[in-house]
Amino acid sequence: MSSDSMMQMLSELSGNDAVFGHFGALGGYALAARRAMHELGTGPETWKKIAVGQRKWANLNPQAMMHDKPLTETDYDQAKWVVEPFRLFDNCLITDGGRAVIVTSLERARDLKQQPAVIMGLGQHHPSTAIAQSDWMAGPTGARQAGKTAFAMAGITPDDVDACQIYDCFTYTVEITLQDYGFFQPGEGRDWLEGGTIEPGGRMPVNTSGGQLSEAYCMGLTPIAEGAMQIMDRCGERQLGPATGTKPPEIILCSDNGGILQSHSSVLLRRM
Amino acid sequence: MTYAKPVPRINADNRAFWEGCRQHELKFQQCAKCSQVRWPPSDLCPQCHSTDTDWLSSKGFGTVYTFAVYHAAFHPGFKADVPYTVAVVALDEGPRLLTNIVGCPPDQVRCDMPVEVTWQEVDEGITLPKFRPISNDPASAYEPWP
Repeated sequence: MSSDSMMQMLSELSGNDAVFGHFGALGGYALAARRAMHELGTGPETWKKIAVGQRKWANLNPQAMMHDKPLTETDYDQAKWVVEPFRLFDNCLITDGGRAVIVTSLERARDLKQQPAVIMGLGQHHPSTAIAQSDWMAGPTGARQAGKTAFAMAGITPDDVDACQIYDCFTYTVEITLQDYGFFQPGEGRDWLEGGTIEPGGRMPVNTSGGQLSEAYCMGLTPIAEGAMQIMDRCGERQLGPATGTKPPEIILCSDNGGILQSHSSVLLRRM
Repeated sequence: MTYAKPVPRINADNRAFWEGCRQHELKFQQCAKCSQVRWPPSDLCPQCHSTDTDWLSSKGFGTVYTFAVYHAAFHPGFKADVPYTVAVVALDEGPRLLTNIVGCPPDQVRCDMPVEVTWQEVDEGITLPKFRPISNDPASAYEPWP
C-alpha cells in the first residue's frame, strides 16, 4: 500500500475523479484500453505478447530490474488484475534512477570518441487536455500526427525503420502507438505481434532494453536513451544486429507520451 | 460512521453542478457562443474559450462509453468496494461524465450499455451521481433523447 503522502498526491492529482475512486494514470489508461477492446477487438491476448516480448530483451540486459526474471504467457495470464483490463504485467515498473542524453551539433559530434546517433526527424502532437471528454479514446492518439511530422522531416516511411523504442507506461500504450505510426492497421496488432515480431530475433525489435515494463521507468528517457545506445553499438548482449538475429540498426524510431495519451513526441535517430 | 472516501472539492466553477446533484438534477454546461456541451464544469469553453455559458439539465440517461474495474484500492475508503467499476458515461445530451456503475456486477458491464442516473446521498451535504443499467421495467421513466 502507498504511503500517506503518495496517497495524498494521488488524490490531489485526481481532483474530483477521486470521489468516484478513480486515481492516477493506471485508471485513465485502463479506460482507454477498454474502449479499444470494444472498438478494435484488442485485449490481453495482444498485450501479453508485448509484456513477454519485452521481458526477453530485459533478460539480455544486466541493468534491467527484471534481468533475472523470465516471464511466460502463462505467468501473464495468471497474474492478478490491478485495474481491469490491466493485469500486473501490463504495468510499467517504479524506478528511482536517471538517464541522460547529450545533444550537440553534428559538427561537434563528428570529433567525439564515440559515433553519435543523428536526429533525422522530430514531431509532436497534443490532441486533448481532457481524455475523458474525448471521443477518440481508442485512437488515433497524438502518435498519428507526431509520427507523420517526424517521418516527413526525415524523408522516410515506417518501412525504413529497423527498430522502435516506444514509451510503454502500459502494454496497451505500445500497441496504440505502433498502430498510430502505421506499422499495422487498427485492430491488427495481435497478428502483427504473432511469432515474436518484437523479440530478439524478430523482424521489428521493440523496447530492446526491456523498456519501462521490464528494464526501468525513467520516463521518456528510457526509450530515447536506448535508441541512441543501440545506434552507437553500446548495448552488449542485447545489441541489435547479428548477435540478436536482428537487422543492424541504421534507423530507430523513439516515442514519448504524456498525460493519458494526451501528448506525444516522436524522434527518428540514424547512424551517422 | 463518517464518510471515508474523498468528497468533491467545490469551487466557483463547479458549485452549480454539485448543488444540482443535491436536488437530484444532473446539470452540465453549454457554451452560449459555439453550442459545445461540456462536463466537468469550467469557466471557459474548451472549444472557443468563451465565458458565456448556459447551464442545462440532463434527463439522466446515457450509455457506457468505457469503463475500468478497480481490483486494488488506491485509497483506504475504497477497500471494501473492490472490485468496483469506474466509467465514462456518454449522456444522451452529449457530455461525458466520469462516474461509477452500480447495481451491476463489474463483469457484466459493457461498452455502449444503456444506463440511467441514480443518486447516492453521502455525508456533508453531498449527493453523488452514479449510474445503473436501465431496468426492463415498463414503468421506467426512460424516454430516449430526440
